[in-house]
Amino acid sequence: MATAALAQNQVVLKTQLPPPLFVGTPVPLNVPNLEPPTRGKRADFYVPAGTVNLARNKKVTSSDNNPIVGTLDMIDDGDKDGNEGSWVELGPGKQWVQIDLARRVNIYAVLVWHFHSQARVYRDVVVQVSDDPTFRSGVMTVFNNDYSNNFGIGAGKDLSYIETYQGKLIDAKGVAGRYVRLYSNGNTANKLNHYIEVEVWGKPAV
Amino acid sequence: MGQARRLKPPIGRAGVPKWARWAAFPLIALLGLLLRLPQLGARPMHTDEAVNAYIVGQLLAGKPFTYDPQDRHGPALAALALPLARIQGAKSFSDLTESELRLTAVLAGTVTILLLGAAVEMFGFVPCLVAALLFAAAPLPVYYDRYFIHESLFAVATFGLIFTGWRACKGQSIAQAALAAACAALMLACKETALLHFFALAAAGFVFWRWNLRDRGLAGLWLPRAAPAAAAAFLLVSILLFTWFGGNSKALAALLQAAPNLLVRAGGEGHQKPFWYFAQLLAGGWSGGVILALACIGFFQTARKRDPSPFGFLAFYAFFLGIIYCLIPYKTPWLALNFWLPIALFAGLAIESLWRLPAKHPALRIAIPVCYILMGAVAAALIAHDTEQRVFLHAADETNPYAYAHTSEDLLALPAEIDRLARQGAIAVPRIAVIASDPWPLPWYLRHFSEVGFWQPGQQPGKADFYITSTEAADRYGDQLQNFRPEFFGVRPGVLILLWSPAPK
Repeated sequence: MATAALAQNQVVLKTQLPPPLFVGTPVPLNVPNLEPPTRGKRADFYVPAGTVNLARNKKVTSSDNNPIVGTLDMIDDGDKDGNEGSWVELGPGKQWVQIDLARRVNIYAVLVWHFHSQARVYRDVVVQVSDDPTFRSGVMTVFNNDYSNNFGIGAGKDLSYIETYQGKLIDAKGVAGRYVRLYSNGNTANKLNHYIEVEVWGKPAV
Repeated sequence: MGQARRLKPPIGRAGVPKWARWAAFPLIALLGLLLRLPQLGARPMHTDEAVNAYIVGQLLAGKPFTYDPQDRHGPALAALALPLARIQGAKSFSDLTESELRLTAVLAGTVTILLLGAAVEMFGFVPCLVAALLFAAAPLPVYYDRYFIHESLFAVATFGLIFTGWRACKGQSIAQAALAAACAALMLACKETALLHFFALAAAGFVFWRWNLRDRGLAGLWLPRAAPAAAAAFLLVSILLFTWFGGNSKALAALLQAAPNLLVRAGGEGHQKPFWYFAQLLAGGWSGGVILALACIGFFQTARKRDPSPFGFLAFYAFFLGIIYCLIPYKTPWLALNFWLPIALFAGLAIESLWRLPAKHPALRIAIPVCYILMGAVAAALIAHDTEQRVFLHAADETNPYAYAHTSEDLLALPAEIDRLARQGAIAVPRIAVIASDPWPLPWYLRHFSEVGFWQPGQQPGKADFYITSTEAADRYGDQLQNFRPEFFGVRPGVLILLWSPAPK
């Protein structure tokens, strides 16, 4: 009964997807230890009713405050197009971006589009949530595929994945916090870090 | 009729002391060398470079060069790279380095600059000087003269053919005719596209004779006695190179298949580009438009009159070559190096003509040279910017139009990662199985590992410590890869491979 009641309060997360810019790759990958392929549309992901994208036009800071291409506000401006002019390019190596959601919220999903005009994998992707803007205390990790612990914040066990126009949907399981920080460490094409869009789906914390 | 009257002397030849000529061109060649040598091994090996490196590795192992018109170009590059690699101490494929191999192209590019010094009699001092400077410092020749492919060698052989061919006609020299034929053979031994150049040269020669020389008698241009010597030189050099100095007579039969293969390849084979591709490429960057505009000025200045100088011939050659390359769907950026000789010389001709303008307008005798010097300084700054960006800072970046389907820098980390994981797992000699339909350039990057095997998707590779699979091949080996952890590496833009290493327990 409780499960049914819970299910009744769940709705499908609906986000606007950009047009796909490459086909053919990624190709079917059905092997262990690897992110399953995205064949067609991603399976529906359920979130509590009333969940919205809380990141839209919120303040973004970064380890690189002078991006090589674009500006940090492009990360949550709603533009998910994969073409040039829609992404922000941060410097080489380890970098992070941080979104201030302005208040403490429960987060059910984080959607991130790094780059989707060609098949790429971004390295050491970590997503954390905290009430501390410095991320020194009360940090909760919701995704981590930095299995070599290059960032020194703990080795992750999540799987690497190929970027697509559907973005990477991360199940945040309702974790509470005000700040969302996303790490990356270059990609398979170059050492630079890119963000097209980040969405944080949640509700004000109870 | 004297020889000097048969072929008109080039513009601006007189008045330059010999010492200036002999000092200028070696100095410019030195500048070219200084721009080509730094960080020569830094850029990742392109697939074509890796294939050429593998061929040199086979030669180092004592195997003969086997000409295969389907998958390989001619033997000329390997024939020059082999002794250079040996001089530098390489004894096997695994000893080879990027710098050792790319030195061949660097030297070919440097010889081109020196050859411009020798061609002053033909094209004049100022055009040759400007052309030499452009060859030495402009981004396109500097980039591809640091690339272990056939193009630089092909370009210098083409210039050698034009230079010695002209001298053979002018001086009625059998020796020069034989040299020209040897250059033609070298072109053929570089790339089968030599046939296109031979056609463009023949067509240019014919039209130049009919139009510019007004059907002047062939007796003054053509020495019948030179024909047997030229034919003998062409056959000798071709046979020596293609049969790998007599060791492989089957290569000559294979050579006959080159033309049909060339026709198939010309269709595109995935490298189709629009007809304006080369114009767009050459006009790109901060400096491309300036250089191309100057070249166009020089070209039209020559084309608008029946110029009997070598520039008249060069204009027809550039015209026919441009038509051929633009019409053929198959286009890669390094082919643009073939246009660089006419572009650089016509740009030089335009600069010389512009420089002479003040003499015709005495009122502007001071202002115009000052203006030209300033414009020259700006052009030099633009060229320096493009060369720095394209050759050094973003040599393998996909935003660089010269870096075509280039190997990603990410792949450089693959051998180091295998080394690290092997040490971590106490594996002294890691066995590596590569499963991919197109594994290049992995043979180059895995050359330091002694136990590496390559399989096609669907084949059974047996047990290995590490597997490297293409993304396409990976899902066929689910059971075998059950206890392995994958890591992505970028091979080329949009192309990924997976390194599978034993999962931590």
